[in-house]
Amino acid sequence: MKILEAQSAILTNFEVYQFLNRQAKEYQEQKRRGPGNLETLRRELLQYFESKPSPLSQEPCTYNEQSISRLLERLRPYEITKGEMIMIVNLRPTNPVALNTVIEDMEDRFDQSQQEDISAGIAEVLGEFPDEEEEPEGNQGDVMETTEAR
Amino acid sequence: MFILTKIADLVQIAPAQFEKHSRVAIENNINAKYANRVIQKIGLCICMYDLLWSSEGLIGHGTGLVNVNVEFRLIVFRPFKGEALFGRISSATPEGLNIRTEFFEEIFVPFKELPDGCEFDHNQQTWTWVVDGAPMYYDKNESVRLQVIDEVWHDQRPESTSEEAVEKAKKISPYSVRGTMMKEGLGCCIWWD
Repeated sequence: MKILEAQSAILTNFEVYQFLNRQAKEYQEQKRRGPGNLETLRRELLQYFESKPSPLSQEPCTYNEQSISRLLERLRPYEITKGEMIMIVNLRPTNPVALNTVIEDMEDRFDQSQQEDISAGIAEVLGEFPDEEEEPEGNQGDVMETTEAR
Repeated sequence: MFILTKIADLVQIAPAQFEKHSRVAIENNINAKYANRVIQKIGLCICMYDLLWSSEGLIGHGTGLVNVNVEFRLIVFRPFKGEALFGRISSATPEGLNIRTEFFEEIFVPFKELPDGCEFDHNQQTWTWVVDGAPMYYDKNESVRLQVIDEVWHDQRPESTSEEAVEKAKKISPYSVRGTMMKEGLGCCIWWD
């Protein structure tokens, strides 16, 4: 074994989730089983992604192929770093306290209203968990609708 | 949390796998070798992402194995320093909190990295964070956010071939992550959401 490039790219959880889901489906269609170690690990990873508080546990899924580019567009004014953006996509912080865990020196970089706008932008594009007290209303297919309900 | 790593390796396909398409046989071989295994200073390997290149198969003398040189990319779990991630509390000791995810168990938050006002309750075997006189519990199985501050690598290569040395080398986990919960918003998710 020879490592040609230790890190050639970073993947978001959503990308890994999609990849593994597709692989599981393909294997099933082809009536093929991967090695035991892979089958176990894939099951565990999918479980991790699909259990709360992971945003990918929400049904119906609020992420799609365009989510990341739309998020970049929406948050462009704030000069958020690549690493921070990856964490935003993975953890989906939709309030300033949660946002504080992924943005370095948040208090110095953004004032209160900016913090709230970033959180709102994340909820707009990536969705958010519906409030538990309220019954979610009607069809939640549209991400924008879900967020504006709050 | 996840990266792609580019690797070159030699894959050996046994005659029993000849009925499979080469692509499937190669992928299975790579996944059997790498999935759920740690490469030092790289991370926990998940599975093959794509096959970039493969040579012609060459049959070795005497064995009947087909040797193929391949280059491929692998999905690897390797949270970067400063990365925040979700986990679950698996146990607590006076030294700190052990955190796990469904697929990776080796995350540790030393007590020094818990917020000020944290105490260990020996009866309950849990850490509590006392804020304004009200205790909040780091209960087992609770979902937490933590931030990665360091990683610890341990090469499991044994000192000798004796069974004892092999066992000893296996005891220490090859890759573990250290985290902090000092920052506002870290710790149990239900406190903040």
